[in-house]
This record gives sequence, C-alpha cells and structure tokens, in this order.
Amino acid sequence: MYVESITLLTKEYNEYTVITPKVLDIVKRSGVRNGIVTVLTKHTTTGVTVNEALECLESDIENFLGRLIPEDYPYSHARMLRDYGSTAGNPTGHLKAMLTGNHCHFPVIDGEMVRGGAQEIYFCEFDGPAHRTINVIIQEEK
Amino acid sequence: MFIDMHVHPAFYEPINQDSELEELRHNTLDIHKNGTAPLEHIFNQMKCAGLDYLCLLPEDYRTQQGGKVLVSNEEISQLVNMAPDKFIGFAGVDPFAEDAAEELEKAFAELKLSGLKLHPGKGHFYPTDERMMPLYDICEKYEKPIIFHSGMSWEPDTLTKYCRPEMFEELAAARPKLKICLAHFGWPWCRETAMLMLKYPNVYTDTGALYFDNAKEFYTQMLTRDVPMTWIDRSLRHQVMFGSNNPRFEQIRMAHAIKELGFRESTLDLICGGNAIEFLGGIPNRKE
Repeated sequence: MYVESITLLTKEYNEYTVITPKVLDIVKRSGVRNGIVTVLTKHTTTGVTVNEALECLESDIENFLGRLIPEDYPYSHARMLRDYGSTAGNPTGHLKAMLTGNHCHFPVIDGEMVRGGAQEIYFCEFDGPAHRTINVIIQEEK
Repeated sequence: MFIDMHVHPAFYEPINQDSELEELRHNTLDIHKNGTAPLEHIFNQMKCAGLDYLCLLPEDYRTQQGGKVLVSNEEISQLVNMAPDKFIGFAGVDPFAEDAAEELEKAFAELKLSGLKLHPGKGHFYPTDERMMPLYDICEKYEKPIIFHSGMSWEPDTLTKYCRPEMFEELAAARPKLKICLAHFGWPWCRETAMLMLKYPNVYTDTGALYFDNAKEFYTQMLTRDVPMTWIDRSLRHQVMFGSNNPRFEQIRMAHAIKELGFRESTLDLICGGNAIEFLGGIPNRKE
C-alpha cells in the first residue's frame, strides 16, 4: 500500500477545491500499475466528493447544502467540549461532511487513474479557514 | 475599524516551535486538538471575521511553572514586528517574580508594548494586593491600560474569587486615571461589571465569553438579557470592546454575531473599534 498526503490551507468558511491533479501526481509517483486509489480526508468537517468542475455547480451545491443545513438553527453541537477546552460551533460542518462523504475511490489500470471525462475530485471545506490534510491511499492488486 | 481586543497567540507558528513548551501551553491553558497556526491562516481567519487588528496577550506564570514563561513579552513583540499592520501587543509579567517591575518597564520602554495583561485567578492574588502597586504605578507612568481576566476562567488552577468584578472596585476608585478592562464581561457577573462601568468611566470590558450555546445565542443572552441591550446602547456604549478570547472561543462566529444583536450602528462602531482605540490611546504603528 502506498500512502501520501495532500495538505491545504483553506481560506473561506465553505470552499470547494479541485484536487484531481494532485491525486494524479501521487498515483504516478506510487508506481502502482493496477489497483485502487482512495482519497480520504482526515477531518470530520470536510468532505471529498466527485462532480463536474463547473462554477455554476459549485454554487448550486453550496446553496443546496445551505438550504438543507442552515446556519441559524438550534443544533445540539453548540457547547463547551472538555476534550478541546473550547466551544463547538461547527455543527453545520459536521452535517455537510456527512452528506458529501469523506472519501472517493477510482481504479488504477496500467498506471493511470481511470475516471469519466467530467469527473473531478473535490475537497470540500465546511469549517474554514483551516489547515487540512487528505490522505491518498493506493492499494496494488495482488 | 474592527479590533479583537482579546486573543491568545500561544499556538501561532512563529512562537510555537518548541514541543515541550507547546505541551505546557496545551496543559496550562487546557486547549487541545487545535494544532499550530501559520500566520497565513491567522490572516485568513481575520479576513473571514472582517477584523483589522488583533490584540495579542501574553501569559507569564513563571513562579508557578519552574521559571518557564508560557508566552513571553519578547514573543509578543516578535509577532507584532512580523505584522505591525495587524497585531497590537500587550505585556505580561508574573507579579511575584523578583524582576516583575523591571520586566514591565522593559516591555513598555524597549518593546513598546501597548498595555499589561494580568490574570488574578491564575496568580491567586486580589487586584488590591499591595504587591501589585508597583506594576500599577508603572502603567500610570507610561499611560498604559490593563486587561484583567475577570469572571470565570476555564484554565486549571484558577480560582474565580480573585476575579469577581466587585473585587476591582477599590482599584478603579483609587486610580481613576488608570484604564482597566474587566475581560469576558466578568461572566457570569455581567451586571456587576455593568455597575462598575456605570460608576467608573475608567472601567471597560470585552465580549470574550462563549460558555454555552452558539455565538449568537450566547451573545443574545449576555448582551441583551443578562445586561439589557439598552443599558449598553444608551449608557455603557463607550466602555464595551469586542473580544473573542480566541482560540478558546470562535472568533469568526462571534465577530458576525455581535453585529446581529440590534445595536445602533454608532454603538457597533464603538464596540468594534472606537472604544479599543480610546482604551489603547491610539493604535501603534498605524498609518493614517
């Protein structure tokens, strides 16, 4: 198994970043000819999703998630957390991350990550700005 | 102008390079899982919050911590020098250190820091303790304000009895020229803080409290019910400063929430910046 990390310093509260080129580079560096690649965020208020990289779709996704999970709502996750010594104020981030999911998979065939023509990998920030890490895991066929 | 008057930079990357000290900072402040913040991240956060300046506060409890200073005046000065257009720096001294007065003189005269931060609950001293007088004298000499931790403290080994707002009345009365900020609105004794501000124009407070609920809900409780909004909007509008107590609390959400409570625009201007400028006697290094 080959594992490499992508790190990002996000700038906005909610932000969508295409990370496909970084994943493709890592697949190449792995030297794996045939297998499967998993892209997995290390955080619980961020997501990984696959979609077409269009500004209009990014806007629609953001508005859709915002309608489903509004900021102004009496969430339970709004209290001091003893383990952190700080206040939890990011319930919307956790819930949006649950909807997008935290990972995606693609096959690797003959050393290339195989995907559809419109498929791009998005890292979704739902509680930024923040320092974020995404693991890219490539498993070789046995 | 939007100023956050209460920020603890213990985990800012340029001053958080020593893993042993970082561990001490996590344990002393009881703040965990927050990571180290590059300055670029801090600036991103300020942009999202709409903040122009952060007032950075040190932490010096060296007589309780084997001579180690948690966040030193030199580290605060280092950060201010890295971003003088964004950071304002305060000094901190352990009042029980032998050279406390010298350290404070140096912080004002050489490092050009803008005020003094003290935490009576952590140091286990009352604001009227005779041993504090030389420090107050120095602040008066340099015309520098003091931010006192007031009200509840989440930090371990702190006793709230030393920080109750009423404990500061004698000091406020005895030294009317000394500007003092009873931080965190003295929560949960917000009305005591309001009483002191009403009686003593040299008493200020900041809004760095978020102990229950979310930012908007807590501010609605603290700043419109515990202390009715009209009290602040009509009578105390020149003495309340925005503060977040970040990283304990949520700077961005608090910065947005303070603007959603219904204060007059002119009151918001004072809370968000005008009162801080008055308290500080101006912003150092600011290009007009």
